[in-house]
Amino acid sequence: MEFARAWRALPAEHHKEGDLVFGYIRPQKFELRVREYEQYRAVYCSLCRQLGDRYGIFARMTLSYDCTFYALWMMALHKRCPSFQEGRCVVNPMKKCGFCTGGERELRLASALSVIMVYQKVRDNIADDRFLKRLRSYFMLPFVSRMRRKAERDYPELDKIVALATMEQAAAEQNPGKSIDFYAEPSAKMMEQVFAFGAEAPELSPEDRLVRQAGYFLGRWVYIIDAADDLEKDLREGAFNPFIVTKQLQSNCSPERLKEVKAEANQILNATLSQLIAVVNLMDLQPFGSIVTNVIFLGLPEMQRAILFEKEKEKHVGPV
Amino acid sequence: MSDPYKILGISPTATDDEVKSAYRTLAKKYHPDNYAGSPVADLADEKMKEINQAYDTIMAQRRGHTAGSAQQPSGGYTGYSYANSRSSFSDVRNLIMTGRIADAEQILNGVPVEGRDAEWHFLKGTVLYKRGWMEEAYNHFSSACQMDPNNMEYRAAMNQAINRRNGVYGGYNPNAQPVGGCSFCDICATAICCDACCNPFGGGGCC
Repeated sequence: MEFARAWRALPAEHHKEGDLVFGYIRPQKFELRVREYEQYRAVYCSLCRQLGDRYGIFARMTLSYDCTFYALWMMALHKRCPSFQEGRCVVNPMKKCGFCTGGERELRLASALSVIMVYQKVRDNIADDRFLKRLRSYFMLPFVSRMRRKAERDYPELDKIVALATMEQAAAEQNPGKSIDFYAEPSAKMMEQVFAFGAEAPELSPEDRLVRQAGYFLGRWVYIIDAADDLEKDLREGAFNPFIVTKQLQSNCSPERLKEVKAEANQILNATLSQLIAVVNLMDLQPFGSIVTNVIFLGLPEMQRAILFEKEKEKHVGPV
Repeated sequence: MSDPYKILGISPTATDDEVKSAYRTLAKKYHPDNYAGSPVADLADEKMKEINQAYDTIMAQRRGHTAGSAQQPSGGYTGYSYANSRSSFSDVRNLIMTGRIADAEQILNGVPVEGRDAEWHFLKGTVLYKRGWMEEAYNHFSSACQMDPNNMEYRAAMNQAINRRNGVYGGYNPNAQPVGGCSFCDICATAICCDACCNPFGGGGCC
């Protein structure tokens, strides 16, 4: 059961769960300074705590690296420099971990985003044809609906952005014969708006333009890597996948062909990342600038390597 | 103008060589090549001007001149120009140059299929690129190059797109040979390697 699995996995082992999209944006651990690593963990643990405090213990299961990154980035944009204190893990009291004091606003925002996105994901799965996936999602729906209602009250605009984008994404995927760019657009636009919403920069100011661009390319990157990651599974199950559509793949296609498609996916991701890097270089990100650049310059390429160039079984990278 | 040393990220006591090296690093970072076709190219351009000015000011101060009269060392960094007198799409080029991407695209989409020459594909690619639709842009650049293989403008755009895809501007290149001691190709190897580096008894050097 997905839920049980996620529960056991929290928090130290929590990584990309089969169904949740939100786990691709993470740092390259080896390249972080010890201080940076501890700060990253502290934001992660604080987000977990915030989720529990605000939306109930089940909300903790929605914790992801993606939303941790969102919280970090927003703190960096708002020049919010939290201080850190030691505490105990809320899930496993035997474990010590750091928490940040300050940055409440960003953590609240990130936790709302987390439950809203998971709610939409669950809704999306219910619309799916596959029986098991639907059943699982029906089981989760009452829990996630409750959290989402609360998050919607806290941030009605954020909820609207994600809900609309999810609808647009589903609609886009009903169109056959379009390009990767076309299918990635709703997700990219969603992240663009989510970033702009969090940044609160005056519209069309340089800050606003930069943060929107960064969100666009990051959202595009996540959509494409998620599609490439699910390629084999979607081929087996006959589900929609932008690569199956654009490359006209058949369920019996050769491993060589799949390898080719993944190499091409890597090129598209590189092109996307090059734009993201260019944007990030223009941004003034303090504090956490070095963590943000670690994630984008090293963490994302590492994810490409792990997902596109490793064998299926060993694919999933360990927790940060 | 704010402190030129701050702009270059160095202390006022930095040597001339340090100033130069800081300038070069930043000039490379904000070089128009990195922002070719990017929607934020203008912001990079401003940053570039700021760095140029800061460098000039420092150098002029150190030579005992005032900053105002200094020449920019690299005044040529203005990005790609879309002006082209022999163009049949000069209106579209003007729109792209002034950032009116949606208008440019509208005109391009109105061109009937038989009128879509190499330049049309190049401009369509340029417009798509600005919108972040890099995959379709790449295909249009490639069509432009096929239709007119000798055009340097199209070729440059195509090469840019290829370099971006191959990880020249960041990302992951599966064919890259690891640089330096540590290989990033293998996480475990890196872990062991880092261990060796950190451990004072582990012997010197990497791998």
